[in-house]
Amino acid sequence: MEENDKILIKSSTSNLSLVRGFIEHKAKSLNLDLLTTNQIVISVDEACTNIIKHTHKFNDNQIIEIESFLTDNKFIIILKYKGEAFDPTKKQNPDMNEYFAKYKVGGLGIPLMKKSMDKIEFTHTKPDLNSLTLIKVI
Amino acid sequence: MEEFIISEKKINNVAVLLLEGYLDAHTSGELEKAFESLLTKENHKIVVNFEKLSYISSAGLGVFMAYIETMRNNSGDIKLCGMSDKIYNIFDMLGFPVLFEIVKLEEEAISKF
Repeated sequence: MEENDKILIKSSTSNLSLVRGFIEHKAKSLNLDLLTTNQIVISVDEACTNIIKHTHKFNDNQIIEIESFLTDNKFIIILKYKGEAFDPTKKQNPDMNEYFAKYKVGGLGIPLMKKSMDKIEFTHTKPDLNSLTLIKVI
Repeated sequence: MEEFIISEKKINNVAVLLLEGYLDAHTSGELEKAFESLLTKENHKIVVNFEKLSYISSAGLGVFMAYIETMRNNSGDIKLCGMSDKIYNIFDMLGFPVLFEIVKLEEEAISKF
């Protein structure tokens, strides 16, 4: 493990830009290309958005800790936050043909997060500690 | 704080929204308001220019999904233009080019109506 960085944010969508800046800065220091950087940034944005909306229900007294580090050829981001367990890896991606045919709305954050990263892991430690790990091979 | 700005203009019968900055879960409500305002004015032919947009997340994609059917049901459409590779990549990852017409230039998008 090398170059470990961490930020803590209040659980509010107004802090998404801070999160993106943190990840972007890290990606730039690794000279990652624009598309790869944006895929990592968007997956962390989507993960935080889901936590803010669904786990913390916009309660900005809650905190999300975001840690990023590089190990071997993997860019790893770990989000730690309190709340009820919800494992995004268990959620099935929508059938996009049906999605478009029925003009559905919403539910695209997790698919985007999954498509942007190589691996996602979720763990829940009782009573209420969650850890979401996003991994991108670079 | 990263900003999100929408400018609106009308060319012939088409409303053009120029997006600038960062479109995410925090700012997507602004785009919803812009679409609601267009509906109130019975503008159903819409071009969205992404030339100055730096970032989009699923919250932004959701706004286009929320209004495309209404626009089409009223003989209109939402046509998209001016995307950087980075923005197009997000639309493309989920297959949006199947549903939305996406072209390079604003004039081209307008001429599609």
